[in-house]
Amino acid sequence: MDYTKQIQEIAAKLFTENTIDIFIGYRMNGFDDNQVPVLITDPKDISKLVFTSKSVFNLTNYLKQEHTRNKRIGLVVKGCDSRSLNMMLTENQVKRDKLFIIGICCEGVVDESGQKMQNCTECVIPDAVVHDELLGTPAGRNDYKINVDIAELEGKTLVERREYFEQIFENCIRCNACRHSCPLCYCTKCCIDQESSTLYSGSNTTSSAFHALMTWSLHLAGRCVDCRNCEKACPSHLPLHLLHKQNEKVIYENFQEHLAGVIPDDRGAFYKYSLKDPDDFIM
Amino acid sequence: MSVTTFVTDKAGLQKFYEAIISSNETYAPVEKSGKFEFKRVMNLSECDPESAIDKTMSIKPLFFPRSAKIMKTITTSAGTDVKETVEDPLAGKRIILGVKHCDARSLQVLDKVYLWDYHDTDYQNRRKNTVIISARCDKAGQHCFCTSLDYDVENMDAMDLLIVNGQDGKVYIKARTEKGEAFLKELTSLQLAVGSQQSAEEEIKKQYDAFAASFRLKMNYKEVNEKLGKLFDSPEFENVSANCISCNTCAFICPTCHCFKISDEKIKDSGVRYKSYDSCNNGYFTLMAGGHNPRPVKYRRWRQRAMHKFVYYKERFGVNLCVGCGKCTISCPVNISIFEVVNQVANA
Repeated sequence: MDYTKQIQEIAAKLFTENTIDIFIGYRMNGFDDNQVPVLITDPKDISKLVFTSKSVFNLTNYLKQEHTRNKRIGLVVKGCDSRSLNMMLTENQVKRDKLFIIGICCEGVVDESGQKMQNCTECVIPDAVVHDELLGTPAGRNDYKINVDIAELEGKTLVERREYFEQIFENCIRCNACRHSCPLCYCTKCCIDQESSTLYSGSNTTSSAFHALMTWSLHLAGRCVDCRNCEKACPSHLPLHLLHKQNEKVIYENFQEHLAGVIPDDRGAFYKYSLKDPDDFIM
Repeated sequence: MSVTTFVTDKAGLQKFYEAIISSNETYAPVEKSGKFEFKRVMNLSECDPESAIDKTMSIKPLFFPRSAKIMKTITTSAGTDVKETVEDPLAGKRIILGVKHCDARSLQVLDKVYLWDYHDTDYQNRRKNTVIISARCDKAGQHCFCTSLDYDVENMDAMDLLIVNGQDGKVYIKARTEKGEAFLKELTSLQLAVGSQQSAEEEIKKQYDAFAASFRLKMNYKEVNEKLGKLFDSPEFENVSANCISCNTCAFICPTCHCFKISDEKIKDSGVRYKSYDSCNNGYFTLMAGGHNPRPVKYRRWRQRAMHKFVYYKERFGVNLCVGCGKCTISCPVNISIFEVVNQVANA
């Protein structure tokens, strides 16, 4: 999977035609074979752009930042990234006419050690679902697979699960990197930053981490696209996907096989109400 | 002060470590999901005092924990009782094994601010009661640049004992402070051989030269420091910070970042006041009660970070706040390197 040349050509064309102010892509990090996101404003930097299976980071994260708001942007999206972009469009966080989207038919990305990322091995929609230009050959939809970790988690009783998560959250240092790296956590004032709140106090105690992460995962239920930006950002290497995948599975099974951001202007699992919605899983 | 150097071999070093662990409250790098964190150990087999530099977290949490209880309150019908002193789990006499140079250096840097006009007594006690045993790296990590900064790595006084794997296959244990010397005297049962002072110094120097030659990153610190001091208004800060996602990881991982916030947690009638990490990368870090924020945009926050590390702290305390350990670059989800940032701004 190498679309470096095509992306450079498209970016050059966009700058020449003056249709964008910023192009968001990837460049080599300059010391090993890994890549970092780059925001290009000067056409002479276009030659830095690359795209290979090491292009891991979900770039739609940059659309929520203050210095890209109301700018005309060109960006590269893989399958999962395009779904989070769809969510942001649905939730009116970005305007479609300000974006030029290069969609990728993704064959899966690899982590730093060269191993295919776990979410890529169980990816349902590898092709970009929203795009102005599509690179690669569409592979179509894969079957929904249940994550092995989730199968293990579901084998535990509720009490065991709680203990299990408490053990995991013990290592949380409450840096909030998970939240900041998530493209869909775009609130300018997050509820877990409320200084007056006792539940989400600024301390790094396990109970405070527990509340913060659980709240965060519930705010992303039915919205998370499993891009794993959060897990890659976590300095404590917490398996944060467990929270999101479990939510995803419950929603997939109970809300007509709903997956976030697949259809444009999808109102999501929790945005619409139907009398047929099952409720037997509610305690 | 007489400074002794003992000579032993790898097996002797293992015995030395075992003797320390068996008779002291010892902390050492313990592996957990690919990363080494400094934790309390009971056996040498649990830990690796020579853990790789790029996989080891800093020792900061042992002196400045991520969340420390600093006050307790209990409310009764008679009124509220405030206990200012809360028992500190890190205040006892303890030994830390496998401390890297950069980490030892970071304590010297933190001393400047925590033992400045106001003495942080918790920090002071933790420092006073700790013996730092440092194992010098044999090879620099990919993002290390400690030798480029303006301190003498060879002669740092923050480590009490220095352990060097000589290139001649021997291990040199050198006491560097009175605390270290006294600690070695207590370990008489080991009967460590006292080496010839001169040949030991030569071997230690040789190992240092080989270590210093293994650095990928090198900078002219003096030049960068001088240039940066005049570049407050540089537009380059916007470029270097463009792909930062403001996630705070760098500050939480950094061995010298020392900003904290205070928060209260209250359940029924009892409350606890915590002192926890904070980071200048946060949009709300400088947000004032009235709503004004002097650093409202990301590049200004990044500028503060870079300038604090490489200019302001040096101006105020005479030392650089960055110790060149490269931990922030390793942890950064988008791989921003502070080395690249300051060089890029200074040379723009």
